[in-house]
Amino acid sequence: MTRTWTIAGALILGLAPATPAIAHHGWAWATAQEFELSGTVKHVRHGNPHGIMLLTTASGEWTVEIGQPWRNEQAGLTPQLLRPGIRLLVHGHRSARNGERLMKAERIVIAGRSYNLYPDRPS
Amino acid sequence: MSAGSTLDGVLEAIEAARPIVALRDSYLAYPLINAVHIIGIGLLFGAIVALDLRLLGLRRAAGPAEGFAGLLVPVAIGGLLLAIPAGLLLFATDARAYAASPLFQAKILIIGLAIGNALLLRASARRGTASRHGTAFAAGASILLWLGAIILGRLVGYF
Repeated sequence: MTRTWTIAGALILGLAPATPAIAHHGWAWATAQEFELSGTVKHVRHGNPHGIMLLTTASGEWTVEIGQPWRNEQAGLTPQLLRPGIRLLVHGHRSARNGERLMKAERIVIAGRSYNLYPDRPS
Repeated sequence: MSAGSTLDGVLEAIEAARPIVALRDSYLAYPLINAVHIIGIGLLFGAIVALDLRLLGLRRAAGPAEGFAGLLVPVAIGGLLLAIPAGLLLFATDARAYAASPLFQAKILIIGLAIGNALLLRASARRGTASRHGTAFAAGASILLWLGAIILGRLVGYF
């Protein structure tokens, strides 16, 4: 509760704390440069408002945002396929915030096959 | 088993309940429930701010505060009755993460204070014990508390 008050107070003062993101919309928060990352899925949450996975990589643990249910389904990224333990390569854009290990996926490659979340975006 | 792990177990069971899983994986239901939450907030906030401004002394010439309350309080309560169930459903789809979020905890605390403030104001108005200053203070607090609840609710999704 003390922590709650501290954060509420910090917000009122306009000093928003740097806590991990729960949800992002759009691309404005990410860099324009194409980015790729390979690793092993540690945890994945499918479902609204959009999916999220934790990836164990050579550069530490990364959070990767994936699509909402219909977009993941359309790309072929079912919960049966995209599950903990699987190795993959993610193409997309990383957070523009310096040093933040967070990216949003455009296309995911599993065992040489490409699953494209955004067919209308170059990846 | 500690209270914390019991709560965690309950929240996990809520997330795993079949209707909640269906909502989390839904195509249209989730954004529509989201819309109901926003419609409820719109009705509640719009009505309550209008009434609070009247209680703060604005537009006195337009009539007695009781007349405004007769229309605006039911609209605000209607909004709350849409926002709360829709909000509980959205909460249920990711219950453990929301419960652990300090922003979400602060939001719930502030909603509790805002509802308590409204109930006290209403009770004192009914008993005729409300002073002019007390009423104005409660009306000002009401605007700030609901504003805080909405801002915190939005921030939960981004931090």
